[in-house]
Amino acid sequence: MEKLVLKNITKQFGSDTNLVTALDDINFTAEDGQLTLILGPSGSGKSTLLTILGGLQRPSQGQVAINGQNIDQLSTKEADQFRLDHIGFVLQSYNLVPYLNVKDQFTLVDQVKPKGNVTAQKFESYLNTLGITKLINKFPTELSGGQTQRVAIARALYTNPDFILADEPTAALDSSRVEEVGQLFKNIAVQEDKAVVVVTHDLRLRAYADRIYQLVDGKISLEEI
Amino acid sequence: MIFILSALAFGLSRENTTAVEAWHTNSVVMSKDADGNLSQSLLTADDLADYAVNQDQAQVALTPGIMKGAGLREGVMFVGINADDLVSRSITLTKGHLSQNSDELVVSDKLRQKGFKLGQTVELGINNQNFKIVGFAKDAEYNIAPVAYGDIKEWSNVKGVSNRFVASGVVSKKTLVAKSDQVKAYSKAQFLNKMPGYSAQNSTFLFMIVFLIVISVIVVTIFLYILTIQKVENFAVLRAQGIPSRYLALNTLSQTVIIMVSAVALSVILALLVSLVIPTQVPMYFDIPLILLTGLGLVVMGTLGSLIPMGIIARIDPVTVIGG
Repeated sequence: MEKLVLKNITKQFGSDTNLVTALDDINFTAEDGQLTLILGPSGSGKSTLLTILGGLQRPSQGQVAINGQNIDQLSTKEADQFRLDHIGFVLQSYNLVPYLNVKDQFTLVDQVKPKGNVTAQKFESYLNTLGITKLINKFPTELSGGQTQRVAIARALYTNPDFILADEPTAALDSSRVEEVGQLFKNIAVQEDKAVVVVTHDLRLRAYADRIYQLVDGKISLEEI
Repeated sequence: MIFILSALAFGLSRENTTAVEAWHTNSVVMSKDADGNLSQSLLTADDLADYAVNQDQAQVALTPGIMKGAGLREGVMFVGINADDLVSRSITLTKGHLSQNSDELVVSDKLRQKGFKLGQTVELGINNQNFKIVGFAKDAEYNIAPVAYGDIKEWSNVKGVSNRFVASGVVSKKTLVAKSDQVKAYSKAQFLNKMPGYSAQNSTFLFMIVFLIVISVIVVTIFLYILTIQKVENFAVLRAQGIPSRYLALNTLSQTVIIMVSAVALSVILALLVSLVIPTQVPMYFDIPLILLTGLGLVVMGTLGSLIPMGIIARIDPVTVIGG
């Protein structure tokens, strides 16, 4: 089933002679149970695309539909609630709140979204799968890069989102950790039947992808696998 | 600093007024020419004829003087009073007894702290008249000077004026009105503000305290601003996840209230500790309602100061953390 669909998305910044087209007529689909990669060099428009996918920015033209609902015209408050209910973000940096321990990183969400999050049993299994059960009382400064990223993934899963959006999740990781994170995303997609979208320029993640888009100079193309 | 300065200001202010407060005065009548300064007022028996002396009203006769005895010299305010009227009934003794003879004085407890003793003979007034200290009283300061209560009939001698003048004024629990052209009536507030230096001194302290509060609020605002700026990236991540800016702003607000309440409580404790080590000659007085009001004012102003950081939170754009 198509979870996330972009139709003819264009995003422009500035005006007149300063007009910059960051995304040009983008068509994109991500499905449940699949890991979708958006590959592209720096400046290709990956981040802009991710913000539009996540409802953080509105496109200049086109439609963003998630589970059949158009999100490109939501108000700020509606977009906040939509992200909280449906999207799990894994960001490249500043992922964790530095003054909260790992457990509190999750329970913080309970204060604004007390219902609809994963059950304690389910979350325990996530923690086991991610290998961070013993880190629950540690603070972000006590974690390695790989551990930080796994906690961030667990936090993204905590709200029981429909899909996961990850922004350069392997940027700070060595090769062995890249494989670990790649496999994790793949497992989440398959085992949890979620749509996982990873925006990256790390070609090492190709091995885990079900679908790969190439984004160059704001234009997207689907790669044959 | 605010609480220490407030206690000092209030302590000094009280040194002007404790006697007047003890008298339960609501209004004062004195000679028009004294311009509100009771110790400069001279009233004749005719002037006083319209004002009864009873438990709600009293004649007082004031004059500043130097009390000398056993090598001690201290500036005092001689207050001549009648027996069994409003003022004599308001005296709270800490030691000794009320005057029974015209050569006896009941003096401020402050003078005991300065070395004067019960039964001691002292000289007072322009004619170096001899008096015997028979009692010490608390809350007996007038215009910074410790009060020496004596017989009103001795006042003209102590002051060195004609004995046709019998008192400085009339103080009353009730509202007095001027009943002749020679006298003028003052409300308690008007009377205190006319006290030499009282108004200027209070205004000076008030401005110092207000400026300190303003400085404190600026410091708190800057502190919260820096604290918020340091968290902007974390807030942006939380915003990206869908945490509403209202939630983040309300948390910042509650943190501000917690910080301000804790800081005020700590400040009051520190100010109380400081008062323990400050010399006794320095008057400090902690007025609970004033402390609560100032504390509340600081919490409210500090909370208002957090509106600036809250504005920053409201404007945080989660897009800034995408693309690292």
